[in-house]
Amino acid sequence: MSYKAIPLEERRRLRDKKYKKHNLANILTHWFNVGMWLLLLPTGIAIISSPRLGLSPVWWQEMFRNLFGNTANLIRFHSTLGLIWTFVLTFNILLGFRRYFVPFAATRMLLDKDDLDWLRIKPLQMLGFMKGKPLPPQDAYNAGQKLYMYVVILGTIGIMSSGIVMTFNTVFPPWIKQWAQPLHWVSVFAIVAGLIIHVYMGAVFPEEKEAFFSMFSGKVSAWYARAHHEKWYWLKVREELQWEEQVAKEVEETGQTTI
Amino acid sequence: MNSKKRYGFVIDVARCIDCRACQVACSVENNVPMDQTRIWVQDLGVKGEFPNLERIFVPYNCMHCEHPPCTEVCVSGATYKDQNTGLVLVDQGACIGCGFCVDACPYNARYLDKKRGVVDKCNACLPRVEQGKQPACVATCVGGSRMFGNLNDPQSEVSLALKNARFVMRLDYEANGHDTDPNIYYINAPSMVGLELSGDTRQPLVTQSGFLPRDPQYSLAEQGWKKVLTPLLFAGIGASFLVQAVYFTKQLIEGEKEFEE
Repeated sequence: MSYKAIPLEERRRLRDKKYKKHNLANILTHWFNVGMWLLLLPTGIAIISSPRLGLSPVWWQEMFRNLFGNTANLIRFHSTLGLIWTFVLTFNILLGFRRYFVPFAATRMLLDKDDLDWLRIKPLQMLGFMKGKPLPPQDAYNAGQKLYMYVVILGTIGIMSSGIVMTFNTVFPPWIKQWAQPLHWVSVFAIVAGLIIHVYMGAVFPEEKEAFFSMFSGKVSAWYARAHHEKWYWLKVREELQWEEQVAKEVEETGQTTI
Repeated sequence: MNSKKRYGFVIDVARCIDCRACQVACSVENNVPMDQTRIWVQDLGVKGEFPNLERIFVPYNCMHCEHPPCTEVCVSGATYKDQNTGLVLVDQGACIGCGFCVDACPYNARYLDKKRGVVDKCNACLPRVEQGKQPACVATCVGGSRMFGNLNDPQSEVSLALKNARFVMRLDYEANGHDTDPNIYYINAPSMVGLELSGDTRQPLVTQSGFLPRDPQYSLAEQGWKKVLTPLLFAGIGASFLVQAVYFTKQLIEGEKEFEE
């Protein structure tokens, strides 16, 4: 049943009901990551000044070199911040918040058959074909988000490893340092290519407004879940019903109705 | 007169006796590792027919080119052509020692300092020059073969030496879209070019490792970055931006519908 057939009263109820989508660990790490990207991306682009590559405007390079005094200071800022970013992310995911991230990765990242169908249909719909065909129901993240998540994870590993190679330049042989540079760049801009869509969908696109605020509150309305992440919505409903049954059973077993 | 300096070397080849005091002075002044050097002296061997024999030695170091191929490949701008002095310098605080520039230099004038993980080369002893002294190699040159100074100043020692020279040549590299315009001028050495006294001869210098200048080398990493990865990713980013722009325009035209999120 398409969510568009849901009557008004039910819609009202769903809009008031909230489900928790993101835990605090996720929210904090996300915004830490945002802040670091805002500092690292502009300085990183400013560092790349090879005229043979021609990857950044000269006025941008000069502005940041003037801001930091010279190239060495600019690079020192970028690499120091990069090391902090690398350390905090690695620590959060592998140690600090591992109780949140590991189950998260296990339950929300895998692609299933519906996701593959979505990947077939959605791009065609965006180009104006197959308008009538309904999209298969999606998990907490849709197939596009899942795919981008792999790009981000691989890209982040690529950025961190190549960044470490370039920061500790006395340790590694020249050929590794040579390959670390394009790897760093490719990893960053593979993420940036998706980031443009990610930021637009998250912060500007009207239908996804709730997704934006959920990155602060952690919660989305049941209506939004029902409309955009149907499979996850029914999972939540099932969890709720199970919990209700569990409570009813406990009450019955103890034979008490009042405290 | 050009107000900016253009520091360069003039080397009187007829006066070089291959004593290599310049190499020693340079290494001491600049803490060059024992297995490296910033200056080379090339022995061109005995030339001519007995009894008119001549033996030629050609000292060389970084040519501080006007259009250096080495600075073009440096990703971070750690090596650059200094605007005030005209010298090609390395900011070792910014250098990670990847060696792109070592491959690109047509004169093999750069080396990797493995211990410090940076690239090093002749900086014309800039700290000395700033104090009004000559570079160590010039100050120590026994035969007065090496000269250093501002080529833009017509009264400088180098400019006068060039004006009075019998013969001037440079190891210019003009090929594959490059014109290095080196700032080391060799004077008084017709034998180097087979005794032909013509002004614009660009005979290569035969070194032990081959001819100089050589073609700039670009490693697979550098080439792949420039020729494959960059176009590929710009296409990706462009497509992504386009999709976003189309949807955003649509959103602006249609306006937002309240309560429909």
